[in-house]
Amino acid sequence: MLALEDVTVVRGGTTVLDTVSAAFPAGRCTAVAGPSGAGKSTLLRLLDRLLEPTSGRVLFHDRPLPSYDVLDLRRRVGLVQQAPVVLEATVLADLRVGRPELSPDEATELLSRAGLDVALDRSTADLSGGEAQRLCLARALAVGPEVLLLDEPTSALDAVAAQAVERVVSALVADGLSAVLVSHDLRQARRLADDVVVLDRGRVIETGPAAESRYLKGAS
Amino acid sequence: MNPAVPSWWGVGASVLLVALTVALVVREQLGLTREVLVACARAIVQLVVVGALLGVLFDSAGLPGALAWVVAMVVVGGGVAGRRGAGVPGAQGIATIAIAAGTAVTLGLLVAAQVIDDHPRVLVPVGGMVVSAATRGTSVALLRMAEEAVTGRRQVEARLALGLPGAAAFAPHRRSALRAALVTDVDAVRTVGLISLPGAMTGLLLAGVDPLTAIRYQVVVMWMILAAVTVAAGVAGRLAVARLFDSAQRLLATDGS
Repeated sequence: MLALEDVTVVRGGTTVLDTVSAAFPAGRCTAVAGPSGAGKSTLLRLLDRLLEPTSGRVLFHDRPLPSYDVLDLRRRVGLVQQAPVVLEATVLADLRVGRPELSPDEATELLSRAGLDVALDRSTADLSGGEAQRLCLARALAVGPEVLLLDEPTSALDAVAAQAVERVVSALVADGLSAVLVSHDLRQARRLADDVVVLDRGRVIETGPAAESRYLKGAS
Repeated sequence: MNPAVPSWWGVGASVLLVALTVALVVREQLGLTREVLVACARAIVQLVVVGALLGVLFDSAGLPGALAWVVAMVVVGGGVAGRRGAGVPGAQGIATIAIAAGTAVTLGLLVAAQVIDDHPRVLVPVGGMVVSAATRGTSVALLRMAEEAVTGRRQVEARLALGLPGAAAFAPHRRSALRAALVTDVDAVRTVGLISLPGAMTGLLLAGVDPLTAIRYQVVVMWMILAAVTVAAGVAGRLAVARLFDSAQRLLATDGS
């Protein structure tokens, strides 16, 4: 569904991604793994068109991203950032940022999909890190994306909160949502992902099923 | 001659105040002696030149001369506010347009409604107040917009990722910049007369005008300043947002990264 074709990104004279080709198939969770500085987050930003490749193409349903209306594209490709970014004062207002017409019932349904049991009028300032991150997940789901981009979604959380977020992601993928998961946590990548793309210093060094990945095995 | 206006001899005597300032600066070893002396000397030269120019302007340049003076002030203000908001692409042009808009709307309304005379003796000083208010508002608005583009990047990108266009994704940050631009002048209006007597009123009182007449002028000046700040900062904010995003609705890097 999403794919990179010979993508190179040069920023400030440094080659962040070097002729990278990779596919992120529909209905599967693909992990992008590799050491820090490998270009994982840059790759994710390309998929949401928050960044343009220096050369090469990024495809969505076999069509290059610039051929889509960018606002429509970003609704179909959701992004959850590394540390939770809460945008509004209450849970309901936050869920409505991308979809102002969201009804309270729909909002409650989204929260339950994200495994979050809080009142809609709850102040977002009182949420714990893990709750805030699940709110961000629910907010991304509110606009009805076909695929979720997850940028180290648990790295800013403690172990318990991270587990809760992981359970939600795993349930969403089991429900058929496609996901691209950037993670430097190899065990997490093994637990959540069907496939893996391993980057090192901007180049793809391994692709294939997560269960057979030599790189991910290093985790055990 | 108006008894409230000091004679040249009096101005000379007031140099004693500069001497007092310098004496304190030297005694406290502030290292500002040279700066104080240069600033005072510059101020005298600038004011003498401006006074002479205004004399010519009032006597013989007429309305075109007064408007040219106001335009020159707008250009200078645009330069000042543009440097302040250097983090916003095209800040210089944005600032000049914003200040011109704030000035044109405010002065235009006052003249059209015949609140003030279109004589150079009125237009130039009133225009000066309007331009400096518009410059202040634009400076703060652009400075804050540039800061928000850096510190608010994560929030802005979170909104962009939900499919919001750049202007909508930046709207909360633009509002916060505008609030910052307005709040000083709203506070000034709230406390007017309590903490200090404003400049225009002070000038009229010194010139011997009855206090209840002087406040009429001050009231107009306050509304005028509020309008100039609001229009200029508002225009600056809108124009700046347009320059902060590219055609793919991406927040441009403004901090050199």
